[in-house]
Amino acid sequence: MMILKILGSGCANCKRLEELTKKVVESHKLDAQIIKVTQHDQIMQYPILATPALVMNEEVLVSGRIPTLSEIENWLIKV
Amino acid sequence: MDNILTYASSLLVAGFASLFDYLAAHVLLCLIPAFIIAGFMSAMIPKETITHYLGPRSSKWISYPAAALGGFVLAVCSCTILPLFAGIWKRGAGLGPAITFLFVGPAINILAITYTGAAIGFDIALWRLILSIFFGIAIGLMMAWVFRKEELETATKTANNSPFEQKSKLKPAATALFLLLFAMLIAGTLQIGLFTNDLVTFELPIHFSAGVMNILGEFSLSWQGLLMIIMLILIGLSAWKGFNQIQDGLSNWTYITIALIFFTILLASLHAAADATTLALNGRFIAELILLIVILIVAAKNFSKEELGEWIWETWKFVKQIFPLLIVGVFAAGIIREIIPPNWVQTIAGQNTIFANLVGVIFGVFMYFPTLVEVPIAKMFLDLGMARGPLLAYLLADPELSLQSILVLNGVMGRKKTALYVSLVAVFSTLAGYLFGIITSLIG
Repeated sequence: MMILKILGSGCANCKRLEELTKKVVESHKLDAQIIKVTQHDQIMQYPILATPALVMNEEVLVSGRIPTLSEIENWLIKV
Repeated sequence: MDNILTYASSLLVAGFASLFDYLAAHVLLCLIPAFIIAGFMSAMIPKETITHYLGPRSSKWISYPAAALGGFVLAVCSCTILPLFAGIWKRGAGLGPAITFLFVGPAINILAITYTGAAIGFDIALWRLILSIFFGIAIGLMMAWVFRKEELETATKTANNSPFEQKSKLKPAATALFLLLFAMLIAGTLQIGLFTNDLVTFELPIHFSAGVMNILGEFSLSWQGLLMIIMLILIGLSAWKGFNQIQDGLSNWTYITIALIFFTILLASLHAAADATTLALNGRFIAELILLIVILIVAAKNFSKEELGEWIWETWKFVKQIFPLLIVGVFAAGIIREIIPPNWVQTIAGQNTIFANLVGVIFGVFMYFPTLVEVPIAKMFLDLGMARGPLLAYLLADPELSLQSILVLNGVMGRKKTALYVSLVAVFSTLAGYLFGIITSLIG
């Protein structure tokens, strides 16, 4: 099972990223758990400069922008 | 009972009058482009163009100016500020530039500066910009110097593959588009003869009845203002359909909304006579028309639908986030202006004294206003007789210091650093307001 983490303090972009990720997971019936990380000290454990960020199994996939749906699909389905 | 009702209704009228005043053409000509530019910077300027210069190996001469510029370019939304601040501090150029970035961000973002200019005056806006950059760098340097020993220990921990290594360049078309958008903002705000002189005057075929004019007059609303409000409501409604679901692609509603915004900007730049009988074309209208068409062509030719969608989404996000609060804030400011006796404000802050400036700063700390709402509040104090020095002191301190942001900072960088930061901001803002007050009284 893969662990997906959405990093972000809860602004509009983080919610958008969460929606998109959920969509991909549901439509492809992926075995994934989505965790929201909202605490600043936890977010800063990752090598990112800006939120929102998407982390898969502790690897940062994207940060500082909202990826498109197809981008997320590419990342998640590859494994 | 009757008295209370009349009083309440007069307060409501005052609230609406202040709201309509803020939705007037000259403010919209500034705010609409400012929102579009803010969205553009968020979506089209990659963060790496700036963060590359804020890495651990950058020299002071580069990192401090870059941090100030970064505040302007990257930090329109407060949710990106804290992670970036912590990143620059712990893994990048260090405490000093991080503080500069933290300070400059909320004070000089494009929305705050243009809105201050349109609503209060471009002298205050310009000084807000210059002093914020200067103070940001000065406070950053001081903090770095005071805590230089502690910082030396953290500096050695910086890892190799830092996120600051990434480089990114702005597309040439993006630079061109940015300049065009900026030109649109300037064409909308400059008060020079080339733009304001009437070229052709039209007699309008429609006439408003005296009754309608009276009602409008009571709210000090021109018929052009009324038209603007109707257009804004239409934009809001169609944007809800066209912009809110932009991730699914551009729809017909998207194009309708863009067309509505296009016409609103044009309508706002026309010069309409208050008595509702004539309408005049001016240089501003022609300038805006040309710029809007060029902007649409450049945008459509050089950017993919996804890129444009992202731009629209970022712009719409700012509007959704800021505009409702702004309307409430402006309305409330109009009502409060009726309630507070002017002589209170005049006694406390009517003169440019150190004490008056300090009061301005302290008020900024204890009152938390969301982004941009500090501007109508400041305008309210100006109308009530606050001197321009304390006003600037308030405008400098308010976005930086609020109880809420002090608490958050406390959590991120500890009590000692927060205390020094807060005191430096308070002292500098007070002095800045005081000096500005002296300078304006010498000139004026």
